[in-house]
Amino acid sequence: MNAEIRDIAIFTTLAALAATAVMLVPGVAVAWLLARRQFPGKSLVETIVSLPLVMPPVATGLLLLWLFSRRGPLGALLVRAGIEIVFTPAAVVIAMAVMGLPLLVRTARAGFEQVTRRYEQIAETLGAGPWRVFSTVTLPLAARNILAGAMLGFSRALGEFGATIVVAGSIPGRTRTLAVGIYTFTETGQDQQAAVLLVISVSIAFLAVLASNRLARES
Amino acid sequence: MVGVFRWTAMAAAVCVAMALPAGAQGRGGSNRQVVVSAAISLTEVLQQLAPIYQARTGDRVVLNLGSSNTLARQITFGAGVDLFISADEAQMNAVAAQIDPATRVDLLSNQLAIAVPDDRPRVMASARDLLDPAVRRIAIGDPAAVPAGVYARQYLQTIGIWSDLAMKMVPSGSVRLALSAVESGAADAAIVYHTDIATSAHAREALIIPAAGGPRIVYPAALVRAGKNPDGGRRMLAFLRTPDAIAVFTRAGFIAPVPPRN
Repeated sequence: MNAEIRDIAIFTTLAALAATAVMLVPGVAVAWLLARRQFPGKSLVETIVSLPLVMPPVATGLLLLWLFSRRGPLGALLVRAGIEIVFTPAAVVIAMAVMGLPLLVRTARAGFEQVTRRYEQIAETLGAGPWRVFSTVTLPLAARNILAGAMLGFSRALGEFGATIVVAGSIPGRTRTLAVGIYTFTETGQDQQAAVLLVISVSIAFLAVLASNRLARES
Repeated sequence: MVGVFRWTAMAAAVCVAMALPAGAQGRGGSNRQVVVSAAISLTEVLQQLAPIYQARTGDRVVLNLGSSNTLARQITFGAGVDLFISADEAQMNAVAAQIDPATRVDLLSNQLAIAVPDDRPRVMASARDLLDPAVRRIAIGDPAAVPAGVYARQYLQTIGIWSDLAMKMVPSGSVRLALSAVESGAADAAIVYHTDIATSAHAREALIIPAAGGPRIVYPAALVRAGKNPDGGRRMLAFLRTPDAIAVFTRAGFIAPVPPRN
């Protein structure tokens, strides 16, 4: 395995980890809101969060490109602050996080819904404030689902292709991920490189499924 | 990215072509479909020429447009394409075993150019202006195989600034993706074909790299053996070399016929 391939594998794993970290707090917050609260526009939030799951990833990528490009609404602000997203490793992380988020939210939400209301109510009658109830009762009881959701999101991030190639491109040593690398190497006739990345992808996927199955069995 | 769409479109086109019984493809050689895989830089000009050819022959033209290396890969894997028009000789050579070598001709030539976003237009005196720190990202076709990128690298190496610019390069899956990076403002410049820029509403031409000092750009064309309609492919290729077709190519900025090698 040459240095380029090794760097692609390391970069992809780190970017997927970063994406998981980025999506964790907002994802858990949204999951809890959807599971526990009624608010105007709830079904809209529900729908928007799930969109990347059903939209063509390329379309999600195009949306992100529009949003973050120099002429886009967010990109214009960021450029003024000296921050560029498109074609940078940050774009890879954003694409991965957006694509992984629905899986985290859905799984975590199911976890929160399974938490028996009574335990939370008991804690409340014992004088615990909302944050204490959440952090000492709700969160621990939903932890397994949140972990499973995070793993799903991470796995999705690892394999992300469509959104990544649009918004981050395939820049060697900067934004090229496993999935994008397989595509680029195939398109440019570098079959041997593509084959090595393929083997790495299969190995990582194999380990991820093995681990998540074990986690499911233990629960 | 567009490559994925093209691939899917191609797969669909090939499926349709294979699903059609021979009889349904027309009687007496008319109303048959000709599948043409062509370099994506030819998109508009072929879309203009296809209806003219169709009106003259009754053949229905199916255009499969993509980066030449992508198209060459499809042909290597047995795509039922009748005619292949590549943007460079390397990709045509890559499918040497799949084409009919006797039909191979050099169809067109082109020039490289530097595109910049229309909200930051500028004129460059030479490609050395790309060294300007204000030009932070330069989109090019992937120099590993995309013809426009191969030509761009070749040119920048000739004038000795490739290694200085390497860090700024954003390799793209096709020349049109490089152009769209400039259109969206994501790249500050792109090295594309002179003919590409006229098709864009949001890119301006900062510099034309003249054919004389630039790389020798050749679009070879040849019949593909796996094609279902070799007669149609031959007719289409002959049509593309008629004065009428050459006039359309020339109007779009292409150079036809290809000037002799010096």
